[in-house]
Amino acid sequence: MAGNKGRGRAAYTFNIEAVGFSRGEKLPDVALKPPPVFPDTDYKPVPLKAGEGEDYMLALKQELRETMKRMPYYIETPEEKQDIERYSKRYMKVYKEEWIPAGPKSEKAKDTSKGVSLTNTADVLKKIEELEKRGDGEKSDEENEEKEGGKEKSKEGDEEDDDDAAEQEEYDEEEQEEENDYINSYFEDGDDFGADSDDNMDEATY
Amino acid sequence: MTQAEIKLCSLLLQEHFGEIVEKIGVHLIRTGSQPLRVIAHDTGTSLDQVKKALCVLIQHNLVIYQVHKRGVVEYEAQCSRVLRMLRYPRYIYTAKTLYSDTGELIVEELLLNGKMTMSAVVKKVADRLTETMEDGKTMDYAEVSNTFMRLADTHFVQRCPWVPATENSDPGPLPPAPILVISEKDMYLVPKLSLIGKGKRRRSSDEDATGEPKAKRTKHSTDNKEPIPDDGIYWQANLDRFHQHFRDQAIVSAVANRMDQTSSEIVRTMLRMSEITTPSAAPFTQPLSSNEIFRSLPVGYNISKQVLDQYLTLLADDPLEFVGKSGDSGGGMYVINLHKALGSLATATLESVVQERFGSRCARIFRLVLQKKHLEQKQVEDLAMIPAKEAKDMLYKMLSGNFISLQEIPKTPDHAPSRTFYLYTVNILSAARMLLHRCYKSIANLIERRQFETKENKRLLEKSQRVEAIIASMQATGAEEAQLQEIEEMITAPERQQLETLKRNVNKLDASEIQVDETIFLLESYIESTMKRQ
Repeated sequence: MAGNKGRGRAAYTFNIEAVGFSRGEKLPDVALKPPPVFPDTDYKPVPLKAGEGEDYMLALKQELRETMKRMPYYIETPEEKQDIERYSKRYMKVYKEEWIPAGPKSEKAKDTSKGVSLTNTADVLKKIEELEKRGDGEKSDEENEEKEGGKEKSKEGDEEDDDDAAEQEEYDEEEQEEENDYINSYFEDGDDFGADSDDNMDEATY
Repeated sequence: MTQAEIKLCSLLLQEHFGEIVEKIGVHLIRTGSQPLRVIAHDTGTSLDQVKKALCVLIQHNLVIYQVHKRGVVEYEAQCSRVLRMLRYPRYIYTAKTLYSDTGELIVEELLLNGKMTMSAVVKKVADRLTETMEDGKTMDYAEVSNTFMRLADTHFVQRCPWVPATENSDPGPLPPAPILVISEKDMYLVPKLSLIGKGKRRRSSDEDATGEPKAKRTKHSTDNKEPIPDDGIYWQANLDRFHQHFRDQAIVSAVANRMDQTSSEIVRTMLRMSEITTPSAAPFTQPLSSNEIFRSLPVGYNISKQVLDQYLTLLADDPLEFVGKSGDSGGGMYVINLHKALGSLATATLESVVQERFGSRCARIFRLVLQKKHLEQKQVEDLAMIPAKEAKDMLYKMLSGNFISLQEIPKTPDHAPSRTFYLYTVNILSAARMLLHRCYKSIANLIERRQFETKENKRLLEKSQRVEAIIASMQATGAEEAQLQEIEEMITAPERQQLETLKRNVNKLDASEIQVDETIFLLESYIESTMKRQ
């Protein structure tokens, strides 16, 4: 055919000069693989802005990161048990505020004289619970589960401390108030209460 | 939502709210609007956990809900709002510059908690301020309330939509989800509260974590038992207003760089006058007469009326067109072209990126093509005065980076390549989008790298934290200098060096995140403004 300029010679369908290459056939190599992930750059980046405002924002950012971890909105994934209990772990307990989005059922359960619920997720939960009512009949179980689930860490013993939780107080879970007459300081350590008695167990166990 | 945005949202949610919330949030962003059960089923998490996560997300305005037909409630995530979490430090710093520490803490509390009642905010902020003050002094609630009201007046905080009060006391069947309403005029209405009190300093025994005998602690404040007077009236930070402020700041500093301090002050005055009157999405501000501007200039600036007029004329004639003249009454009516200003800022960003990435000769070609709109290969070489080979190389580099695009103009209907014009052009909108996408990727990379660095040195960080805790406890119980010295030496010198390096790197990565976010703001504002005009 007339179009063939000779066997084996490349013929372009367009005017090669328009794209900028002369007819000298010094075309660049075909790319056989994707470009490197970290190519060398000819021009190094400009240094970061430094100034009072920037320093302040940096400090703010790092503080905010830490604070967010301590807020009740940060939902922890349950951690696996540590094999060695470290001495310093006792001194690094992080105070976590309690946050319970209140719903109509949990409001009834609380005493009206105690504190009022925190947030407007009263609306949110009202609706979630309405949905529950529609979905399946086992609403009471779900309510309890929801209430339990709403509390960040399980409370040991007392169930009447909803009001404590509802306020934005910070307190360690082990130092909740008990509504009985015993002096709290009578038993020093809540953890190992009664379990590690090294005395002679002369008493009969029933 | 692009993959880069989803990845960034996932990293942000995980850092701020934990894994469970991240899983739910990312699932919602990916799949759009979903009802509760479908979310639980698809993500394989228990219903209880999903509810908790949704509560957190809704509290922080990251997820909204809607009632659909047949009473099904669907939840939708707001990806763009999640990305705003990067900007929290900037919002708080801005509040600090405008309203000092009180304002800063108010905005910080509102951002950290999503929604709060005014009384809760005031109490918390007063307590925090009291902590930092000297012994014996306390912060009065009234002062904090005042700052809060000023923030509401200037629209930096706004009310959250609420459930309208129903007329009939008998509710009848409750709707599956409360319909929240808000009206324009109520958005900034501060309820009449008489908050009397002072900030309370936390007693030192409260702060002591060193296993003291667990004495019975009295309640934190005695007014818990009173019902909160403004229950149900929740406030949130108004991010749009902050964005407006950032935009104004950017325009003023651009004018200051291009011209001089006085013209930037004039532009700042004009912007301030149109703050409340102009809606944030308007392409230009309301016209302001030269007389009004003259009266509103800050007190320290005594320039005469003629000088002001000269400056205004100069600004209006500038090719960048930040200021435009819209009429002659009142000594000349002037507007600020917000859309054009944002366009110029975005273009300047693009130019600077090209320059830093490819060199100043490439930048020259880029600016040339920007100016002339469409150029052929040959014309580029001639006008830029760059040899053909290099010009070609640079153009292709920019083309593959998607900063420049090709426009084909066929001469014949069969589009034969040999008979077609190929013109180089810059499409600012698409280049801005491309750059924005790249910015999201960069920040995701920065966050990943920072997390990697922290994880690598986790053992060392934990060790140093433990040592600090031990030292603190020993100091509290009274220990000798020698013992403290010994404990401090538990961290060897090379380890200290490593910690220093780690700290420096993490700081650098954090600072980079903040600055990339500034670019993101400019590009997003420009894209948003352009989309609104179409």
